[in-house]
Amino acid sequence: MSQLNFFSDPQWIIPNIMAPFVFTAVALVFFRNVSGPLALYAVLGGGMMGMWGNTLYGAGFALSFDRWNGTLEYVLGTPSRLVWIVAGRSASSAVLGLVNAFAVLLIAVFGYRAELGITNPLAFVVALVLTLASLSALGILFCSSFLLTRSAQLLTNGLEMPIYVASGSMFPIALLPFWSHPLSLALGPTWGIDAMRYAADVSYTGMGFGYWSDILVVLVSTLVYLAIGFWLFIVVERKARRDASLVEY
Amino acid sequence: MDVWELPEKPEKAIVVRDLRREYHSSKGIFRKKREIVEAVKGISFEVDFGELFGLVGPNGAGKTTTIKMLTTLLTPTSGTANVLGFDIVKNVTDIRRRIGIIFGGERGLYYRVSGRENLRYFADLYGVPMSKREKRINDLLDLVGLKDRADDRVEGYSRGMKQRLHIAKGLINDPELMFMDEPTIGLDPEAARETRAMMKGLVERGKTILLTTHYMFEADELCRRIGVISSGKIVALDSPSELKRFVKDITVIEVEAFGVVDADLATIRRQPDVTNVSADLEGERQTVRIQTAKGSEFIPVVTRLLSRAKIMDVRTKEPTLEDAYLKLVA
Amino acid sequence: MATQLRELPPVRIFVSSAAFAFKALFSWLRPEMWLMQVFTLPLFEMAFFVYLASFVAPTTPNIAFIAVGNAMQVASFSSIFAVCNLTSEEKWQGTLIPIIATPANRFPLFLGRAMFQILNGMTSIVVGFVYANYVFGVDMSRTDFVTLAVVILITSLAMTGFGLMLGSVGLFMRTAMIIANIFLFIGHLLCGVNFPVTVLPVWVQPFSYVIPMTYGTMAARAAVQGANIIGIAPVLLQEIATGVGSILVGYLLFVGFEALARRRGTLEEY
Repeated sequence: MSQLNFFSDPQWIIPNIMAPFVFTAVALVFFRNVSGPLALYAVLGGGMMGMWGNTLYGAGFALSFDRWNGTLEYVLGTPSRLVWIVAGRSASSAVLGLVNAFAVLLIAVFGYRAELGITNPLAFVVALVLTLASLSALGILFCSSFLLTRSAQLLTNGLEMPIYVASGSMFPIALLPFWSHPLSLALGPTWGIDAMRYAADVSYTGMGFGYWSDILVVLVSTLVYLAIGFWLFIVVERKARRDASLVEY
Repeated sequence: MDVWELPEKPEKAIVVRDLRREYHSSKGIFRKKREIVEAVKGISFEVDFGELFGLVGPNGAGKTTTIKMLTTLLTPTSGTANVLGFDIVKNVTDIRRRIGIIFGGERGLYYRVSGRENLRYFADLYGVPMSKREKRINDLLDLVGLKDRADDRVEGYSRGMKQRLHIAKGLINDPELMFMDEPTIGLDPEAARETRAMMKGLVERGKTILLTTHYMFEADELCRRIGVISSGKIVALDSPSELKRFVKDITVIEVEAFGVVDADLATIRRQPDVTNVSADLEGERQTVRIQTAKGSEFIPVVTRLLSRAKIMDVRTKEPTLEDAYLKLVA
Repeated sequence: MATQLRELPPVRIFVSSAAFAFKALFSWLRPEMWLMQVFTLPLFEMAFFVYLASFVAPTTPNIAFIAVGNAMQVASFSSIFAVCNLTSEEKWQGTLIPIIATPANRFPLFLGRAMFQILNGMTSIVVGFVYANYVFGVDMSRTDFVTLAVVILITSLAMTGFGLMLGSVGLFMRTAMIIANIFLFIGHLLCGVNFPVTVLPVWVQPFSYVIPMTYGTMAARAAVQGANIIGIAPVLLQEIATGVGSILVGYLLFVGFEALARRRGTLEEY
């Protein structure tokens, strides 16, 4: 039901598409003289960013929107835990991101005539779904901080870029300075996209752990995020009620 | 504030001649149906200097549309109006400089700054001389009773305080003529009373006010003349006492009862010599007001028609302005 | 003399709007958030494209091109996003009506409120250049810093003008932020930020040349390599022209919006 609010303003989908789309387009320009499976990188990356963007936007923004409308107080008062409501939103945002990713794919194939071949479709889909789950779980985690800040939207803007860089969406994290690797590796979706690339391209070496290790990490990380997320939410909910910091916008 | 650049001061503060306003809307996506709604259907009236003039009418009657046209926020479809001698279409800036507008409500103020800062900004936009600005702001804050909260952010103000800030804002350019759209709505009784007292004070100081309201007692108390608008037309324009004479032959029978239903009211309405029936059927104690030319001899008829209900009290009353209004807009 | 000037209605409205807009419309941004934006956004955007370029062409990454371009592009956040946000805040707070009801001259009103964003934009770009130099190793030994400063100033001004125009377009829509979000990123693709405009299809290029940033990136690169003002004057003039053009269009839209809303009765619409 709360998603209806989001969808009734379809214009908000545009920002989620814009950044990944533009960045993918730039990537494709960079890749224009390169043939072969590298183009897949660009497209996958773009789709990935789209999913990220939606997760951050969907979770953070929906809360921000609520905040403005003053409905957040009412939502908090409902019997069903806020967590479930947000979880629902997070998940549907991630799915929305999937639609986004699909759009990017279409544009890439038809607009740029990129060649894509996926070697192992089943494995790919499995990795994709798990990555989405991981994204949703992360979204829930982020949500809790958004509940307390006035500027959820700005925070999502702020997080967007670092995550595009750190998650290895568009280029292997090996390129990044070594000290940032732990941060990248802490993000479940980083492993997820690695798995997807394994499934898509036979010759892919990636992070070097292999498809199944990646999947395992994604699963574990999703569970960890969910656990932390739930706990954080309860804490935040209590605090927010105590401090009455939700009323001001 | 002496701002007359015309050779003489105009005779009337506001002159309205056959003002009309249509709204166009199109429905549907594929086969667009254009709908034309005439909100104001040719009204004419005049307001004198130093007068407190009231425009009353039910919701949707055209009061707000009229006031928006006179304050240059809406252009008329046809007809003319002069505010302080200036045409509302051709001399927009001249009018804006000299009038004060109080529309009230929750919005229309900058939330994240203080009341004082709001007033300063509008003072700048209205071109209040810098030498007078601070003093005027302080005087206004005093007048509306916001002195001690002036430097707090508006987002922390109560509804009543915001309304008072609206009033201060409306006076920032020391206007000759003020337009107030339902200024006491949403205020608690004490704040409303203070606002009315303030309005009377302003008129005593020589200002002219055009007020819209749907509180009849307010219009009765404050206004020298009242224009009753219904469905976009002025159906009556006179002083409150004259308007009440409109219902002078009418007696009002007020019944306090329990268990009255709409069907009963309909039956009463169908009776000859009943001009109006209004009722408050909510809650335990229901009140039915019946306007009739027959006077107290009608009471037995009423008790008979309401026999299924339990009648607790029946009184006859002098008709009020509200009754006149109800009769006029019926 | 100064006080007399200050009392001149247009100047007063301009200055007042500038100061007021900062407090009233921009302070949704807490200082911490703003700082985060100014310091992290340039870094990560630059990182993204630099690393991507290194990935694609490991032997010939054109890092300097990309880093300088991204340093300039950073201004988009303040000049487009924040400026459009002004419009959106006004609408949301319902203060458009009281503003329109005043006799204030529309031009200084329109222009004044975006002034802080010009400063904001310049600061962001400078931070961007610091990153370009120290983090990504762009060689700035031959840079003509005076020229670069002028480029930064003009770009920030012109892009803010562009943002004002977008904000005015946003008046007609439900919310100005859609436009803001679209244009916030489009610079990366159209304005010669990550690759020269000439790489784009021919039919796309005219769009690039309407946006001041396209000239800004060109001029900035030249300045970094040591060109002086005379050398880049033609580019700067074109940038100024697009900026001024944007402001004019934006102003006309602003005034047009008021006229249309008064005629249609749509001032209250969100």
